[in-house]
Amino acid sequence: MLAAVRAATLFGVEGRPVTVEVHVSTGLPAFQIVGLPDEACRESRDRVRAALLSSGLPWPVSRITVNLAPSDRRKGGSGLDLAIAIGLLVASGQIAGDRVERLGFLGELGLDGSVRSVAGIAPMVSALGEFAPVVAMASYREARAIATAEVRVAASLAEVVAALQGFRPWPDPPADGVLPDEVLPPDLADVRGQAAARFALEVAAAGEHHLLMVGSPGSGKTMLAQRLTGLLPPLDAQRALEATMVHSAAGVSLPATGIIRRAPFRAPHHSSSMVALVGGGSSNVRPGEISLAHAGVLFLDELGEFAPTVLDGLRQPLEEGVIRIARARATACLPARFLLVAATNPCPCGGGPPGSCECDDGARLRYLRRLSGPLLDRFDLRVGVDRPDVDDLLQIGGGECTTAVAARVAAARAAAHARAGVSNAHLSADLLDRTAILSSGAKEMLRTELEANRLTGRGYHRIRRVARTIADLLGDSDAVVLDHHVATAMQLRVRLGVSARGRAA
Amino acid sequence: MRSSATAPDQLPAGAYAAALAGFPHMNVHRLSALLRAHRPADAWLVVRGEARATGLIERVLADSGVAAAWRAYANPERPREAWERCRDLGVGVTVIGDHDYPALLSADRQPPSVLFYRGSLDLLAGRRVAIIGTRNATAGGREAARSIALGVSYAGVHVVSGLARGIDGCAHRAVVGGAGPGKAIAVVASGPDVVYPREHRDLWEDIAANGLLVTEAPPGTAPEAHRFPLRNRIIAALAEVVVVVESRSKGGSLITVNEAMERGVQLMVVPGGAHNRAAAGTNNLLREGAAVAVEAQDVLDVLSIDHHRHGPVIGEQRARPRSSDREVYCLCAQQPRTIDSLVTGSGRTLVDVAMALARLEQAGWVAQADGWFQAVGSPLR
Repeated sequence: MLAAVRAATLFGVEGRPVTVEVHVSTGLPAFQIVGLPDEACRESRDRVRAALLSSGLPWPVSRITVNLAPSDRRKGGSGLDLAIAIGLLVASGQIAGDRVERLGFLGELGLDGSVRSVAGIAPMVSALGEFAPVVAMASYREARAIATAEVRVAASLAEVVAALQGFRPWPDPPADGVLPDEVLPPDLADVRGQAAARFALEVAAAGEHHLLMVGSPGSGKTMLAQRLTGLLPPLDAQRALEATMVHSAAGVSLPATGIIRRAPFRAPHHSSSMVALVGGGSSNVRPGEISLAHAGVLFLDELGEFAPTVLDGLRQPLEEGVIRIARARATACLPARFLLVAATNPCPCGGGPPGSCECDDGARLRYLRRLSGPLLDRFDLRVGVDRPDVDDLLQIGGGECTTAVAARVAAARAAAHARAGVSNAHLSADLLDRTAILSSGAKEMLRTELEANRLTGRGYHRIRRVARTIADLLGDSDAVVLDHHVATAMQLRVRLGVSARGRAA
Repeated sequence: MRSSATAPDQLPAGAYAAALAGFPHMNVHRLSALLRAHRPADAWLVVRGEARATGLIERVLADSGVAAAWRAYANPERPREAWERCRDLGVGVTVIGDHDYPALLSADRQPPSVLFYRGSLDLLAGRRVAIIGTRNATAGGREAARSIALGVSYAGVHVVSGLARGIDGCAHRAVVGGAGPGKAIAVVASGPDVVYPREHRDLWEDIAANGLLVTEAPPGTAPEAHRFPLRNRIIAALAEVVVVVESRSKGGSLITVNEAMERGVQLMVVPGGAHNRAAAGTNNLLREGAAVAVEAQDVLDVLSIDHHRHGPVIGEQRARPRSSDREVYCLCAQQPRTIDSLVTGSGRTLVDVAMALARLEQAGWVAQADGWFQAVGSPLR
């Protein structure tokens, strides 16, 4: 006898619908899964058999063939367990075929017959389309946030079977109860002093400018970076969905509501491999840190300590907002539009005021060379961060709080989008010319810098973009950029170099 | 000695000397032997094989290869070409024995036979301190070089150095960037038109225009390794005091130190950190009893110059900062500042401070590196 049950599998951050076909026939007793299952998937044979027996259901002593259609695509993971078990029960006549027609099954089985949650519920539910998902209790919120049909839950295989046979209703989903308070990102008011770095965060958030913080150890670079997400506006529906899909696919825990509304913050360690950062894997492409930081902030502390090849891997996603991972069998395209914030010491010894560093030119040059090149060019903002003054540390109460700054950021973003339709960091040269007209004072100031060789052509355009954002933040949202906007933009772009004549490249 | 005379029979001695300096197989010893024994025009006949050589040159000419190479090179047009090339480049030529040849050098134990120079030789009549050190300097070393060079130049002392990377360049940049009466005197190893290292092109031209740039090498000479130790003897010969800022235990600066000690030139050393490898050589010198230089005043004391007697600096060309910017300047003058500490210190907004810094930096009152702002040049009074 034949049965077909709906399920889904994960590839990258996409769910792909899978039809689990089960054929039970006479012949030598056997159980075979075909249709390119991976290792975890093939092992489901043993889990399904044990789960059925533990749940008090008979195991058909027949020749059982399971086909995972479409059968030319590799399927991974243990999420097909439940669908295989149900298909088997339908094919062996224990459940009527019409009872499963409008359902899709997503879950792993324990040997005791329990239904367990798997990674990637959100994209898989979305792949099920109008089929109502049946998932584990723990997956309920995630599934409900995405599903278009009613979500059914069950704690065990026995409950699913009882509901499908019509003996008992579907179990109630877990009560919403009181949602735990959302964990807010730390507040900007905790930061003492650091006027330039605070403002740089504000500018980065408002204009989506990538930010490099340069400063000695202990100056608070990480502390500052963690506070950037609080300044970013809540994600719009599209971005929220994309971010949720990525987190779900990677098996990273989601907020209690099941959907990510706040910009994520990811801070991978500098020992991270290329695959950990950009994503990859053989059978199923797993999203990397840059995709998990999609619509949020990717913070790379100790930028110079990352392997150069890993950093080079960031260049294409920084440009395109997506990462394409090609494998022999398939190409996955994962979202990766993030705000890059990096921190580095100015030199191997950590730097400090001029004269306190004991590194020689050669060592400094080698250290900076690791950062230099195309990646360093992507940072519109380069700001020096030094330990705050003692007076600032002892002062009661810090500066402005996140809420006040976030309001300015939201207003500046709205102004920029109303003017050009994109964030200032993504303004094309043509739009920049039209929306960031330099006043005569600003033009004179930039001319002097260019003539004094303190600014390169590339730096000139970056400073204009940042100046545009600064003008938006200060409420000057008409098309003209004034001299004090440019002056501030120049100070948010420190010169890194061995000699005092380093250039704002 | 610059002259417009170009007719072959009227060529000055410098033309022959300049041509001889550019000969293949020529070196400072051979050139010196030639010009000690003969007037330049006669030396020309010697290398052509038309007059009799003596001593070292006789032995050199015994090598048929060298003799043939010299004869082949000694084309009658060479002196005029060499002379016109120097003239076109604005390079002066002075030969030992000429009236404008620096007296300082003619008394030296190993004087350069010919000097090619740009700028004013008159500077050699002033007070002179050499500031030298490693090419691979630490930020601390560069800061010491900068502040000592700036300090002595404001007291009217010229700064002699080799225009190399690191300490040398740093000392000269400070002098050129400042507005003190002391100027930069660069002694280089390559030809006066061959900028080395290339990143010092602006400094090179600035010194040629406002200070003095001298070399033994004729125009077009590449910065060959063997020329650097020889260049160092000229630095030592031109200085009243040699200040070594940082040197590794086997650094090239120690060659200058030896040359200075052989000439009885006062040696001063800037102490470095105990574990700073860039200062291992200088710390060894201190261990052997060299005098200590921590700040410009130490050097001025040795020169018996009281800098406090010097009045306001003459020749300040920077526009005076507007009164609202003065507070920011004064904070930078106290110590190196980050923009954060300027905001805290002045109590003004970041945008205000940024605007003040932009004006101050563009007028040349402060300079920024790695996010630190420092006052440069003479203090604002």
